[in-house]
Amino acid sequence: MMTLEEKLRLLCEATGVTGDEGAASEVAADLLREYTDKVTITPDNSVHAIVYEAGEDKPTLLFDAHIDEIGMIVTHIDDDGFVRVGSVGGMDRRLLLAQEVVLHGTEEIPGVVLTRAPHLQSPEEHDKVPEVKDIIIDTGIPGDELKEILCLGDRATLKSRFVRLQGDHVSSKAMDDRSCAVCIFAALDELKGKELPVNLAVSFTSQEEITGTGATNTAYTLHPDVAIAVDVTNAMTPDSDKLKCSELGKGAAIGIAPALDRKIWKKLIALAKEHDIPYQHEVMGGHTATNADLIVTVRGGVRTGLISLPLRYMHTPIEVARLCDIEAIGKLLAAYALDPEL
Amino acid sequence: MDLKLLEKLCELNGIPGDEGDVVDFIVSEIEGHCESWQVDPLGSLIVFKKGKETPKKRVLFSAHMDEVGMMVSYITDEGLLKVVQAGGIDDRAIFGRQVQIGKNRIPGVVGAKVLHHLTDEERGKALKTSKMYIDIGCTTREEAEALVEIGDPVCFVSDFEMLGKNRIKGKALDDRFGCAVMIEMIKKDLPYDCWFCFTSQEEIGLKGAWSAGYIVNPDIAVILETTTPGDLPGVSAPDDCCRLGKGAVVPFMDRATLYPRNLYKWAHTTAKERGIAIQTKTLVAGGNDAGAYQKIRGGAACLNISAPCRCLHSATVIADLGDIDAVEKLALIAAEELPNF
Repeated sequence: MMTLEEKLRLLCEATGVTGDEGAASEVAADLLREYTDKVTITPDNSVHAIVYEAGEDKPTLLFDAHIDEIGMIVTHIDDDGFVRVGSVGGMDRRLLLAQEVVLHGTEEIPGVVLTRAPHLQSPEEHDKVPEVKDIIIDTGIPGDELKEILCLGDRATLKSRFVRLQGDHVSSKAMDDRSCAVCIFAALDELKGKELPVNLAVSFTSQEEITGTGATNTAYTLHPDVAIAVDVTNAMTPDSDKLKCSELGKGAAIGIAPALDRKIWKKLIALAKEHDIPYQHEVMGGHTATNADLIVTVRGGVRTGLISLPLRYMHTPIEVARLCDIEAIGKLLAAYALDPEL
Repeated sequence: MDLKLLEKLCELNGIPGDEGDVVDFIVSEIEGHCESWQVDPLGSLIVFKKGKETPKKRVLFSAHMDEVGMMVSYITDEGLLKVVQAGGIDDRAIFGRQVQIGKNRIPGVVGAKVLHHLTDEERGKALKTSKMYIDIGCTTREEAEALVEIGDPVCFVSDFEMLGKNRIKGKALDDRFGCAVMIEMIKKDLPYDCWFCFTSQEEIGLKGAWSAGYIVNPDIAVILETTTPGDLPGVSAPDDCCRLGKGAVVPFMDRATLYPRNLYKWAHTTAKERGIAIQTKTLVAGGNDAGAYQKIRGGAACLNISAPCRCLHSATVIADLGDIDAVEKLALIAAEELPNF
């Protein structure tokens, strides 16, 4: 059996920019087949699984994480082979120059975001970062050849190298939100062979970063009575606002927000205390900016909770999370499945 | 060009003042192919290559070993590393990269305040190096101090790879490319005695060339380098300065040096006669170790032959194999003809 870190690496290395999640969805679906045969990939690239069937008369609990990652979309290929792109999701423009890029055409094409030579730059330009639409990607391939393997609408990602840092810190692109899929796998490991009072469904949904299509359609199709969304939350760094942050290594961040179900978050806190699972609060005044905002609205309303994984440097190719937090969330999800608030 | 050799050179880490690993590797390559070598007090490697004849003029070939990078300047209570630049890197080409720290190549990532906590104005502003930090996964200063020391070098992680069929991309091509050309020259039989300086500390102001140039005292110094083309879409001559894929760049002037007219003309005439692609800079931009050699011990006459490289001073330098070939060919002819120039 693969370790959580191996699953995380496999998922993070898969490509699945919003709206074109197919490759990442395949990887996630394969990993789910360790737990159940009832795995499907929907036409809009979400992965659905029925992991446990308690019976038709029993309520259904859904664990959800999104499968898409931020990236770019090819908008123009010129005759010299320079590629222009648009942003898909919230790209951090501050890190684009001289960045390694992978263009996902009929093959993986390496590229580099070009910098303007110093002699062409005014001091003002030097203080600014370009818009995504203005960056130029060099592939080294002549335009006519490039157009045979890359077309408009193909996606691009920033190159990333999954790396284990000191302790249990891991860094990669797409930890948002593949690391939360791994939280769900950790829960399924805990639940193996155990009897549950509910039907348990799992979804890895498409298009969270923009449109929210995957979560909305998934909540309709799987029709859960209760759902827990799992997503990432900004973890503290010395320069960030303490009140807006969770902390790495301090466990599951339990979501507290108007749209979230009060009974569910209280139950999650009670379970964390009962089972000695590290947890912290994440209080949000308005939207949670996660799939929870969408799942709650579907089919007459779904009572939903949110658990977040602390993550540093969100929306960069070097997002950092800790395995101990992933394990804590896995334990909390498992505890909830065994003793849910319905 | 032996691309495997170039790849090995680029994957070594060597910021200015810490070129030791590069020296060791080059020595392992050239031993047995040269008369003698020495490392000078500033860390430059000086190689004497005996040719078939001893000419009247002492010709020196030079390329620098150091690459742009950073140094650890402070360790925070939270176990994050603050850095200063060693060599000039565009601030905008540092955040979000993977790096390696020190001899043990401790992996780290360059972080900064997260996007979601920025104002709209901050999102469009260049992030300064002083606002970044390297996260190695330590949670306290003590933990980090056990692995990293103040002053440790920090280098980018970047794969050496092909871009299409005719270009390469890697870190440190500036100027391990020049080093690779010189290693291959040393491995050949040359008609005349030549000196080769693999200089240290070019990126912080040509320091290594000052000491090595004094020791060798050349009549002619040929600097093998990389230089920045401005050839983005929409930029044409003369603003582009030079272009990738258009051959070796031999300038008449840059920001540090006014090159002797006779050597400049020799290079352009010879390249055209021999069918070697050559171009000049159409602007006064850049600079290299010639800025030092022209002033040492009464001065050497300098010639600069460069490969144009996009994204110079970053983790993702791009060079063209045709340009590389042109520089190699012209450098070899220089070794045949300049000793009797």
